[in-house]
Amino acid sequence: MLKLNNIEVVYLNVVRVLHGISLTVEDGSVVALLGANGAGKTTTLKAISGLLKVEEGDVTDGSIEWEGRRIDHSSAQEIGKLGIVQALEGRRVFGHLTTEENLLVGAHNRKERHIIHQDLEMVYHYFPRLKALRHNIAGYLSGGEQQMLVTGRAMMSAPKLMMLDEPSLGLAPMLVEEIYDIIKRFNDERHTSVLLVEQNVRIALNIAHSGYVMENGRVVLDGSADFLRNNEDVKEFYMGLSAVGVKKSYRAVKHYKRRKRWL
Amino acid sequence: MAELLQYVVTGIAVGMVYALIALGFALIWKSSSVANLALGQLVLISSWFTYGMLVQVGLPYWIGLLLTIVFAVFLGWSIERFTLRPLIAQPILSLITVTLGVGYFLEGLVSFIWPTSVAALPHLFPKEPVHIGPAVVSQEYLWAAGISLALFGMLSLFFKYHKMGIAMRATADDQLAVQACGVPVTSVFSMSWMFACVVAAVGGVLISLIGGITYGLVETGLKSFSVVILGGLDSFIGCMVAGPIIGLAENLGGGYLTPIIGPGIKDIIPFIIIIIVMVIKPFGLFGEERIERI
Ligand SMILES: Nc1ncnc2c1ncn2[C@@H]1O[C@H](COP(=O)(O)OP(=O)(O)O)[C@@H](O)[C@H]1O
Ligand SMILES: [Mg+2]
Repeated sequence: MLKLNNIEVVYLNVVRVLHGISLTVEDGSVVALLGANGAGKTTTLKAISGLLKVEEGDVTDGSIEWEGRRIDHSSAQEIGKLGIVQALEGRRVFGHLTTEENLLVGAHNRKERHIIHQDLEMVYHYFPRLKALRHNIAGYLSGGEQQMLVTGRAMMSAPKLMMLDEPSLGLAPMLVEEIYDIIKRFNDERHTSVLLVEQNVRIALNIAHSGYVMENGRVVLDGSADFLRNNEDVKEFYMGLSAVGVKKSYRAVKHYKRRKRWL
Repeated sequence: MAELLQYVVTGIAVGMVYALIALGFALIWKSSSVANLALGQLVLISSWFTYGMLVQVGLPYWIGLLLTIVFAVFLGWSIERFTLRPLIAQPILSLITVTLGVGYFLEGLVSFIWPTSVAALPHLFPKEPVHIGPAVVSQEYLWAAGISLALFGMLSLFFKYHKMGIAMRATADDQLAVQACGVPVTSVFSMSWMFACVVAAVGGVLISLIGGITYGLVETGLKSFSVVILGGLDSFIGCMVAGPIIGLAENLGGGYLTPIIGPGIKDIIPFIIIIIVMVIKPFGLFGEERIERI
């Protein structure tokens, strides 16, 4: 179980961006961390994974506990070895390496060769497309393939907690659905907890068990996925729906059809 | 004809040693974007160290060479650990300046320990020259080329297949993402400095076996710069192609232009090449293309 108790994060000793975040990820669950740009979602993930230290950020208050022990003072590698992995925002593949080499870097801290081989097969099982592309240079893969690759690379460390930062960003809806199905299956079959950062609230709540909504470095709302889906504020601000909105968009569709006939 | 062939063979051979040394530069540049300006002094000090072990201490060749490698590894490790690591996340210019300082420090150290400015290593390879067609070439050149090529092959295999080699290439692509994969970048940097010092040492010994130990070894380092620039800074293949080109140009130019222009032209040629390359192809012959995908 991952537990954040009221953490504050300060960058460069002056810029405070998180003002007391608390959240819990139960073992085996999928938790969505939602919010607009600049809310502090990525910072929260980096605080957990230890990457914050690389960027001159500090957890100045509160604590982060993983399986009952504090990790907020551990290095990124130590935290990685404890089974927490973060896939960074923006599909950061190693552009000059092949698909398979990218995956192997994900298993850097795994010792035994045959296990690494099994993990590769496991990733190829979830992402058959990556297997076909295993010898291709990652920099030339399509956006969707790159997202699959960074997700697969995170899987390669055999994590107990996988944190994904906006996996849907800039991808076509069909692809997003495909990738989300795989994440869901991975969670179901391997009982890996998933902490999912998204701006695409609808798709995230489709697979999440619970979620938190962040604004300006604070959690403003949290609850089960059902509760959040039906919450009026979430609907209005994050899903772009409101009572009137539905009608409007329906009319927009009709309008579009009519125009099409004239063309 | 014999003369031309001789220039060509020795030029290529020496050029391959330049390439080997240049590889060390490319390695550090790739993984951490630091330009190692101490290259020449690394070559210098490890050659003198070898001299110390073999001649002054009188160790057998294989122990002396082994100690030189150990020394080079230690040198690389300590340069990274004590001068560069404290500066991580500082502007890249400070890091480069530090390597300049390290270079002067090492040079000072050499003139302090070995005030004599010229020395020779004992013969390692058989003395009989080899006949290649009409040309007569001393064996050192061929060994130098062979050893450089072998080391290049080994390093290439390491980077292609070894877990740490792959991680080092990944670091060159994305330092943050590689840390998200649990790779300790500090050991990657450390490793690249150790490799660079080892190839500089091997290169230094090979050149010293050919031409003796002089301060000219610092220039050998500088010539390796021109190799790196011609090859494109971050390309290993580029180094291996550019090395022999520089070696050839230097030898042919030196051989045929010296009577016309005067001595010294030989040492200038590599730098003339640098300037020409910078003007025509700023990224070098094999400079890595940036992969941009949206
Ligand atoms: N390395 C950094 N140094 C200083 N400020 C940062 C840094 N990274 C992010 N921030 C600031 O922290 C705030 C939260 O950013 P971020 O966590 O990336 O939000 P989100 O992922 O929700 O879009 C933003 O105001 C951003 O400008
Ligand atoms: Mg973000």
